[in-house]
Amino acid sequence: MEGLKAVTVTDRDGVILIKSVSNDVSQRVLEPALSTTFAVISDQASKLGLKKNKSIVSLFGIFQIVQFNHTPLITTLVADSDSNTGVLLDLGDELKEITDIISSALSDRQVI
Amino acid sequence: MLKPKAISQVLKQATTGGVKATLLLNSEGSPLAFVSDSDYDARVYAAIASNIWSTFDKNGKNLMREDNLKFMLVECEKGNVAITMVSNMLLCLVATPDVELGILKAKTDALAKHLEEPFQRVTAYTQA
Repeated sequence: MEGLKAVTVTDRDGVILIKSVSNDVSQRVLEPALSTTFAVISDQASKLGLKKNKSIVSLFGIFQIVQFNHTPLITTLVADSDSNTGVLLDLGDELKEITDIISSALSDRQVI
Repeated sequence: MLKPKAISQVLKQATTGGVKATLLLNSEGSPLAFVSDSDYDARVYAAIASNIWSTFDKNGKNLMREDNLKFMLVECEKGNVAITMVSNMLLCLVATPDVELGILKAKTDALAKHLEEPFQRVTAYTQA
């Protein structure tokens, strides 16, 4: 997708499960802080009185970060600030099909 | 100086078409002016929105090459929240899920643009 720089699927501690990063973006976008911050903030956003938080879009000068609460996983998309946010939100929903498989595998494992 | 009544009237104009609440708050999360059905809800929105903004702003400065946070969209099951900065204050719009995210952003941007100039003057006055 045009402008998309990085996609990561992590757990709530920021441990990366899957990643795909463009060469022209700083490796700092892979830092666990991005996911751990989202985990805390998403919990807080769920207390707004608007039920569970689904996603957060944060628009910076150069980049935009779109993060999804795919409990227990976090999907993070980093793209150029002028990229189409609607397409990124749609992409996150598509990726949920993949994260759901991982999530159910993780919960099966925890039962054992 | 700014007339508090005039600010509320401007915020009221944005609180239509599915927008439930419009708030203007300082960086500590205290509401300066707001339009909402419930005072309690407005205070909750203000406290959480300011905390979300400041946490992401700090995070962005650390990770995104000193880049400043410009706009945030928090999507929940029963509503969406848009947050942006106006001068040294935060503008926060809370809408029902049937309000499209594009129109919510457009409304937030339009309101921010409208309030920016008078607030810049107040900021300059208070800093002088």
